[in-house]
Amino acid sequence: MNFLIEGIQQAFVLLLTGDGQTYSAVYATVTVSGGSMLASLVIGIPLGFALGYFNFPGRRQVRTIVDTLLALPTVFIGLLVYAFLSRSGPFGEAGLLFTLTGIAIGQTVLALPIVIALTAAAIEGLDRQLRPTLITLGADRRQLVLSSLWEIRHGILAAAVTAYGRVMTEVGISMMVGGNIKWHTRTITTAIALETNKGEFAMGIALGLVLLAIAFAVNLSVSALRKRART
Amino acid sequence: MKQPAYHISDLEHRYNRHPVLSIEELLIRPASITGLIGPNGSGKSTFLKLLAFIESPTAGRIVYRDAPLQPFADAVRRDRITMLTQEPYLLKRSVADNIAYGLKIRGETEQLTDRVAQALNWVGLEAGAFLKRPWYELSGGEAQRVALAARLVLKPRVLLLDEPTANVDADSAWLIKDASLKARKEWGTTLVIASHDWHWLYEICDGVLHFFAGRVFRTRMVSFIAGPWEPADGNVVVKKMADGQIIQAERPPQAGALALVASDTIKVSRLPAEPSGEVNAVRGTVTRLLLEKSTGLLIVTVVAGRSTFTTKVAPEKIAADQLVPGREVAVLFDTTAVRWLDSESLGPSS
Repeated sequence: MNFLIEGIQQAFVLLLTGDGQTYSAVYATVTVSGGSMLASLVIGIPLGFALGYFNFPGRRQVRTIVDTLLALPTVFIGLLVYAFLSRSGPFGEAGLLFTLTGIAIGQTVLALPIVIALTAAAIEGLDRQLRPTLITLGADRRQLVLSSLWEIRHGILAAAVTAYGRVMTEVGISMMVGGNIKWHTRTITTAIALETNKGEFAMGIALGLVLLAIAFAVNLSVSALRKRART
Repeated sequence: MKQPAYHISDLEHRYNRHPVLSIEELLIRPASITGLIGPNGSGKSTFLKLLAFIESPTAGRIVYRDAPLQPFADAVRRDRITMLTQEPYLLKRSVADNIAYGLKIRGETEQLTDRVAQALNWVGLEAGAFLKRPWYELSGGEAQRVALAARLVLKPRVLLLDEPTANVDADSAWLIKDASLKARKEWGTTLVIASHDWHWLYEICDGVLHFFAGRVFRTRMVSFIAGPWEPADGNVVVKKMADGQIIQAERPPQAGALALVASDTIKVSRLPAEPSGEVNAVRGTVTRLLLEKSTGLLIVTVVAGRSTFTTKVAPEKIAADQLVPGREVAVLFDTTAVRWLDSESLGPSS
């Protein structure tokens, strides 16, 4: 079990000495997950709102499909995005295969159902009195939507944190679409997979701890946000 | 004649094809106070939501001042037509932000804090202690008062109150009533109030509308007599009261009809009752005396068994017969004074 202790020591060494490869992987992870989160929130919140707020024919069926997509395996998304972005695929011309943008597209597909489903659930859980209250205080349609979203800000935050956890820790998409190219598309998770294959357990654990540290920092800021948002 | 605040015509409203409200014609004068009385589910809340333009009627028109309006119409926002429900929803924000919401979305942010503090003051809450309090740190009564303050701060032209005091403590209820009346006094606000506290309504309202099974009728003060009624000899039904006394009435036009007695057909007399020809003479206890400001008469409430009778009596008669709370009295009315309400027999609504 020495590799555990070694791993913890190495994690500190890697971070404190500014190890180039580690920071390249951290950069790739943060950029890609940040980009995919932004995209999935911008697309997912309005869709989740619509799904939770409006009664339209087929709404329950759409809901079931979105809930099913929560279980999408990352390797399957990786496969699909690979097929679309590869030279012979419909978007091959864009040259996005083995790029950070390519990975971000795949991760957006992964995060989107989570954001949509959790936003819709938060909207459905809203008090029925909210709508008449906002209308009677003078809200127009736009203000009605914005104020309703503000009422579920905790739910949206929870959706974002859940989606971020999934995006940051996935391997399948990063590996298949990104290709684990050193200094370029190697993320922390693909690096861990590689180190494990090489038998470098301590290095793998060190990288895992770095990933946890990033997750901790994210959650710390979310918790501060939530505290501010309580009033 | 002054332009009415509301002119409702041929209104029909249904939920899932189930009719909940039907009004042929109804006028509400500006700066008046209208009371709504009726059992739960009789259409009062629906009526208020339609007046607040939160919902559109299934059919018919609601003309506000000079134009028929729809939800989200500019006039609704401009004239601050606003409603307070029985269980208010507070936004998940501080008390100050809750009250300021309506002003902020209208872009009226000058002297915001002062206006919010003043509105809190109107409902009897101290600004220093409450402004920054989050929504979840309020009692039911406080929440209701904050919700009212959020409406009053708008200085509304129409304030619709749906059982505003049903779920609050006596102190809060008093403050809510007081603050609501202030709106009419200060800004000429048109008030429409649904409440089970009909004593209060009769005291303050210019007119009272009775709701029954989705129909509306303007009527004199009445006392409802709950069933069950049992058939007796001839064309008569009787109600056996909890204390064994009996009330007689003519047979209702259909089962399930609601019995009521108009107040001006009820006499209250000290015991022993002098023979005066009325068939029904029920013994009860005076529980309340209330001055009707508009007429100078006193509204006497008598409880007999589980029924409550109200009638208006001149002050001299009160003094002569000593009809004071606690006094045992006789409530006298004729068999024919008991009228029946069913969905067919309601009178005109205006």
